Amino acid sequence: MVEIQVHEDGCRGCRMCVDICPTTVFEYDEEKRICVVRHQEDCIACLSCAYLCPSGALAHANFHTVKNFYRDLAFCEKMERFL
Amino acid sequence: MSSIPVNIEWLSDCSGCHVAIVDLHEKILTVLQAVNIQRCPVLTDIKGYPKAKLGLVSGAIRSEHDRHAAEEMRKSCDLIVAWGTCAVYGGIAGAGNVHSCEEIFDTVYRNNKTTCSTQCPSSEVSPLEPSVSPLDSVIPVDLYLPGCPPHPAVVFDALLGLVEGRPPRAATKESVCARCKRQMEKSEVDRIRKNSEGVPDPEQCFLSQGYLCMGSVTLDRCLSPCPLNGIPCSGCAGATMQILTEPNRDIRTEIAERMSRLTLIPKEQIVREIERTSKTHYSYTMATPMIGEKPTFLIRKWTEEEREDYEQDHND
Repeated sequence: MVEIQVHEDGCRGCRMCVDICPTTVFEYDEEKRICVVRHQEDCIACLSCAYLCPSGALAHANFHTVKNFYRDLAFCEKMERFL
Repeated sequence: MSSIPVNIEWLSDCSGCHVAIVDLHEKILTVLQAVNIQRCPVLTDIKGYPKAKLGLVSGAIRSEHDRHAAEEMRKSCDLIVAWGTCAVYGGIAGAGNVHSCEEIFDTVYRNNKTTCSTQCPSSEVSPLEPSVSPLDSVIPVDLYLPGCPPHPAVVFDALLGLVEGRPPRAATKESVCARCKRQMEKSEVDRIRKNSEGVPDPEQCFLSQGYLCMGSVTLDRCLSPCPLNGIPCSGCAGATMQILTEPNRDIRTEIAERMSRLTLIPKEQIVREIERTSKTHYSYTMATPMIGEKPTFLIRKWTEEEREDYEQDHND
């Protein structure tokens, strides 16, 4: 099953992940004013939420990585060398 | 632990990255015990390039001197770190790419209203390269440390890691928003506000209030001091990994996507406004091919349109 981690300190409570998720995985916690993962089992690893999250506070693990054909390969090689 | 020889070089930049070393405060003692600083233009009087294990190079390649110095650093150092935004992406010197060298000479020397000389210098000043480029366009770079300047905490971790022979902490994917404490909430704001307009609410996200803030598209290498102190992020640490890796994602479209979801401002209007002010919003990254060569990045066209609009408004 796909695992989703929310970096709680990083979450700004914008609810964009709640809005964009096609399978309603997230919910907004009114008390803490951050998003929470409510239905992790429904995640289809489309990663829409991770791309949209302004803080980069969402991380996914245990999913099948699909190669993007349109990636900038020259930069991808450098990415690991960024401190 | 024997001390590690280090060379530090300074190309076209402002010296802020060097000052970031001093900002280590007492931690600098730990670093100085472990390293032996040889060439360093602001500290030592060594003119040559002695052999060193580690080379820190800040600044962009703007002049022929920069290219020469970068090549000498590569020859003399085992490991080269592109240090600071200018070395990694070209930095603010990259704005020179919006104009030709002739246009720059005209503005700075020949037609400058505040100097009496109308001659371009022909000696003692290094000739310019045709365009501004980041360090890795000239020499292979081993590690990249973006930031303007990189926060001392990141500099310390990187230097200590290299000194101790352990890999330094690699870049996290988090953006400046991750450390900003403003609440990002939906609002009824329906127009873009200039940074000089009104006093922003200190608790609410700038995007929700209609201010163009680059926090969501900028790597967190600074611990978010600007938005925490009432100033929208200007993107000085460069774009996030998803913008750099994917040609169809860009600074303006990513900001517009988020801002249009938070406010009532249409996405196209936000994209257009960022294009209109592209010299500001792309000022740190436009010289890197990762941004400057995106097929939709048309900064010369955008600035020309803006200039025409300005002239039309002021001739009426």
